[in-house]
Amino acid sequence: MLVQGAKDGRQVGGEESEVIFVRENVSMHPTQDASQRISGRFRILKQSSSLFMTWIPYTQKGNLKVASDMNNNKSSERDRNLYSIRAVPLAEVKSIWRHTRPLVWQYIIVVLNCGLAFPPLYFHNGGIKELLNKLKEHVHMVRSLDDANLYLLNDVVQDPLQKSLSSLELRDVVPVTSVAVAQNQLLAAISSENGSSKINTAISVSNESTGYEQRKLYSRRVGRQEESRPSAQQSHCEREQMPQSDSKFEETTISDEMASTRVGSFELVESKLNDYSLSVWGRARLPPLENEEWATFLDSEGRVVDSKALRKRIFYGGLGHRLRREVWKFLLGYHQYDSTYMEREELRTKKYKEYKLLKAQWQTISADQAKRFAKFRERKSRVEKDVVRTDRILPFYAGDDNQNVSKLHDILVTYSFYNFDIGYCQGMSDFLSPILFVMEDESESFWCFVALMEHLAPNFNRDQNGMHSQLLAVAKLVELLDSPLHKYLKQADCLNYFFCFRWILIQFKREFEYENVMRLWEVLWTHYLTEHFHLYICVALLKKYRRKIVDEQMDFDCLLRFINGLSGHLNLEAVLRDAESLCILAGDSGVACIPAGTPPSLPVPML
Amino acid sequence: MATRKRTLLKVIILGDSGVGKTSLMNQYVNKKFSNQYKATIGADFLTKEVQVEDRLVTMQIWDTAGQERFQSLGVAFYRGADCCVLVYDVNVMKSFENLDNWRNEFLIQANPSDRENFPFVVLGNKVDIDGGNSRVVAEKKAKGWCTSKGNIPYFETSAKEDLNVEAAFQCIAKNALKNETEEEIYLPDTIDVNNGGSQSKSTCEC
Repeated sequence: MLVQGAKDGRQVGGEESEVIFVRENVSMHPTQDASQRISGRFRILKQSSSLFMTWIPYTQKGNLKVASDMNNNKSSERDRNLYSIRAVPLAEVKSIWRHTRPLVWQYIIVVLNCGLAFPPLYFHNGGIKELLNKLKEHVHMVRSLDDANLYLLNDVVQDPLQKSLSSLELRDVVPVTSVAVAQNQLLAAISSENGSSKINTAISVSNESTGYEQRKLYSRRVGRQEESRPSAQQSHCEREQMPQSDSKFEETTISDEMASTRVGSFELVESKLNDYSLSVWGRARLPPLENEEWATFLDSEGRVVDSKALRKRIFYGGLGHRLRREVWKFLLGYHQYDSTYMEREELRTKKYKEYKLLKAQWQTISADQAKRFAKFRERKSRVEKDVVRTDRILPFYAGDDNQNVSKLHDILVTYSFYNFDIGYCQGMSDFLSPILFVMEDESESFWCFVALMEHLAPNFNRDQNGMHSQLLAVAKLVELLDSPLHKYLKQADCLNYFFCFRWILIQFKREFEYENVMRLWEVLWTHYLTEHFHLYICVALLKKYRRKIVDEQMDFDCLLRFINGLSGHLNLEAVLRDAESLCILAGDSGVACIPAGTPPSLPVPML
Repeated sequence: MATRKRTLLKVIILGDSGVGKTSLMNQYVNKKFSNQYKATIGADFLTKEVQVEDRLVTMQIWDTAGQERFQSLGVAFYRGADCCVLVYDVNVMKSFENLDNWRNEFLIQANPSDRENFPFVVLGNKVDIDGGNSRVVAEKKAKGWCTSKGNIPYFETSAKEDLNVEAAFQCIAKNALKNETEEEIYLPDTIDVNNGGSQSKSTCEC
């Protein structure tokens, strides 16, 4: 047996504690990857008339797949430590919500008095009913009037938290791995535009050393001085102190639309992020990465030591503007993460020369030659037409004879020679504009643009198959994640999703303010949760407005107009949070909606 | 005449990129001109209430991306169109030469029931530029093409100077409405074989 029986908590693991309930193979699912599941033993213990809940993961060897490298081993080890529930007094448990549905694994979500919740605990061998029956014998527990699956402990009836929980329709929560049909019902709850139900079900399952950091950051975020709290003696589960009065509770919530309904998002708490992350549900966005912290990602010669951690950090917070010039080059793939300062400097020189050569290819075409070169004239004039109408409101591109507009032009014409098959296409100037704005240097901008187009040039394919595959993927994702909307769009004959065309073609460039476009793109470029995060953003946006779309019975025309009209009225941070939750919730089913080679994934090599 | 079921006229503007499609639409609907338009991505439309003879109708004017690469989207955008406006830039020969492609592409994608008589209107835009000195497409040439395609009404416009824009769209509305009327006649299963296209065009004095 691979159980570490003695580790159940220092206070209650001793001989005097009595085991009230025990169940083996209860697991958490930190990611959608089944091999990453953490299984453990769940117990209710009684010590001197108090009950405690524990869940201790089994030790690694032989129980989980042998990880292929050290990193994996380390992270799952860390996960096991992070997620362990060591003797939480049942007096601190507010409610238990159970999910029992045929064909789907049963799990419970335990919510604490402070409003925080543990990630779902999956009872792979059943036993939830027995658990509840057992608890009834020992603690005061009532069933919620609103939700038969919600059990309230130690509690008065109908407090705000409970209302929130029931209004979130938690009964529709389904595990990542479960059938799509059930997911839709859950997600229906999420799409509420008003989001009046506010709850923070986040929990920090952390160790003592990071707890202080978390509290500090938390206080800063909500602008409230955290009262210092003696380190928990009974509970080793460090929690954020939630303000107690109802109104304050509302104020300090992180996410208003999605609460503990997401499964698996607690993956977020680990290593560096642990220092910032208030929410294991991933609701909290971080402040942008700034210089000082960036330096910690580099070794003495300038290599990025842990590129995944970096990408994760940027995914959750973006970059401070001053860092963009340096870091975008990594995100775009122009710079290798393991390159040194010196190598990058050499690359810059080398690429500059290369760019000069490429540019000379078309700059040396004489007027006489151009006369006989219709294709060249056509391309050049197409670029000329577009650069003079690209972001001219921005001071950087404003005014007559603006040098930056000339740079846009030269880079795009050079690109149309570099990638002659694609050439110049409308939308490319939109992609290049923020890159040049950040890089300023012409050659560096060109190569960054080239790197971006490695992924996105298929958006501009002559046969438009790159676009069609993405639109199709959005359709499938909506079918998976919002079946009422899917049904509506189907009967309204709108399943071609052409109303999302602009969103996808230029990755929301026209939908957000310039600064937010840069923020969004760096988040997308991390490819952190998925390469196709932009598709989840589409779904998140559609879902957000689903009620309006359906209530007003929008036809294709209205829908297009409505969607185009959203430009400039979208809240990026909220959209990012929603899209993240959807992505996590969709899990493998989401991945299955997006065929291999769908941009921005690199094309699948032909055999 | 049968009672109308709808008074929405759908008008599609097509033409090479940069000929001024968005500008024409905005000048007509919003009475505004800006040098700062962005290249249209995908499609968008504006609506305007118009008085056509004694009828009040809503014109839905569709503005589309000008690059031919995006034409495959047309299927979704063109369907149900009542009139198609072909725009070229009098200063750019290529944009005129492409009118044929735009017209054919529209007919293929929109697949109107009566291809022969589907109403088009051609606009030669940007006549203001350089006082007309930089124009490369003669009015005569453009009119010749229009005649050869079944007497397509032709206007020379400047979205920037608001030249002829109102007149052009009045004609567009009239022809779109006529197309509507013809559809209406088909509805009650009475086919008027005499109601041909040439007759319908003649009322638009252009």
